[in-house]
Amino acid sequence: MNDILLKISNLHASIGDKEILRGIDLCIGRGEIHAILGPNGAGKSTLSSVLTGKPQYTVTSGSAFLEGKDLLAMKPEERAWAGIFMSFQYPVEIPGVSITNFMKTAINSKRAAMGLEPLSAGEFLRLMKEKMAFVKMKSEFAKREVNVGFSGGEKKRNEIFQMAMLDPTLSILDETDSGLDVDALKIVADGVRALHTPDKSAIIITHYKKLLDYVHPDFVHVLKDGRIVRTGGPELADEIEEKGFDQF
Amino acid sequence: MPGHYIDIPAAVGEKSVRVGEGETFTKVAVLDGKAGLPFDHIIAEADSKVDICVIVLPHTDSEASETAGASGASETAVIDIPLTVDLVGEGAEVKLSGIYVCASDSKVKLSTIVRHRVPHCSSDQTFNGIAGGKSHFKFFGHIIVAPDAQKTNAYQSSHNLLLSPEARIDAKPQLEIYADDVKCSHGAAIGQLNEDEQFYLRSRGIPESEAKVLQMISFVAPVISGISDEALREKIHARVESVIRDLAETLQ
Repeated sequence: MNDILLKISNLHASIGDKEILRGIDLCIGRGEIHAILGPNGAGKSTLSSVLTGKPQYTVTSGSAFLEGKDLLAMKPEERAWAGIFMSFQYPVEIPGVSITNFMKTAINSKRAAMGLEPLSAGEFLRLMKEKMAFVKMKSEFAKREVNVGFSGGEKKRNEIFQMAMLDPTLSILDETDSGLDVDALKIVADGVRALHTPDKSAIIITHYKKLLDYVHPDFVHVLKDGRIVRTGGPELADEIEEKGFDQF
Repeated sequence: MPGHYIDIPAAVGEKSVRVGEGETFTKVAVLDGKAGLPFDHIIAEADSKVDICVIVLPHTDSEASETAGASGASETAVIDIPLTVDLVGEGAEVKLSGIYVCASDSKVKLSTIVRHRVPHCSSDQTFNGIAGGKSHFKFFGHIIVAPDAQKTNAYQSSHNLLLSPEARIDAKPQLEIYADDVKCSHGAAIGQLNEDEQFYLRSRGIPESEAKVLQMISFVAPVISGISDEALREKIHARVESVIRDLAETLQ
């Protein structure tokens, strides 16, 4: 029996006056990979945004607990420190800020929050090198400005690189497979698989089944109109591919 | 009669600099006290290259602020930065760039006039700045292209960040074009820190205050990265970052 990492109960959320999540119940056990599939506009990205604390969304009722801690009461940075990571569907470009500076600030912010000293320059460089090799990024990558001039595939690899650097307990992959060619998809999938350990969990949010051919989920959920309308095993993904979302 | 500005001859004044044929003039000026630019007028002759970068950091020169304090002046003087460029020889290339980081009650007025008097010249202006506290920044950017100045490329952009409800930014770009075969554009924008950018940084565990610092550094980066002397660029980067950190502390 896995212990519970994330427990979402009756979660309702809106953007402006529009209610998008209309009562989500979801329980993620430690070590499990869950896939959430759904048509456009089902609320997939809203769910990941609400779990990571994007300010534009308002939670109107319900709860979400990560390892027993009230996730919805935390700031986005506190959620990251607690072990949540989201791979963005559209990673943001930050001109003038290098990947090195970005990651150093992120890692040392978490260490400061935990009462630890910053990593030494040598330790940090070793970590960067190791994780860059892991996602097959060349050495000049470290000096590049965050996502500026990156191709779609490079942006997604950069997300997986950050995931490897930050070592989260719960990874949320928001449409990480969209817009990727087969080679980039494989690098992303290999990364996700290699980072998955028995004490870590992942939520893979996707429109297509593609990524699930490489990363096998333990559970598949169908999200439609802001609710989870069906839950099953990996075979549910095959069924969706064959019959589409209209059956739900 | 065409534009009145262009009728004024490129007269040499006390603070004029003439950049001769084929010559290069590069200047990075940090204005952090009372002093303004050592020149207010550039005359660019044929095939000359002019590259001027102005870093405006009011009230951060400790000596100047102490003097100001000692005089007991309650009203802050406007730091006036006028700069006129006359492109008088074909093939001249002029690049003007600058940043300002204004906090407290500083007042800065930057006015550029770029006059394309002959064909086949280019001018490129980029001014990015941040206004916090009760500061007031004014940018007037005037480009004039004379009737004969065909094949001119003139570009100007001014991006500004308004960080406090009491800060004020006035940006007034002005194009006056009398030739018909030219490429000219200008863009001025005043906005606040981008929320998506901030959320991305925070989602990686970077606290809000530090995320804002990175965003502000990002905002002025295009100008700083254009400084070609590497040692100077790093020195200015460090200096600007420290001013930005001080400004960020006032935002909490």
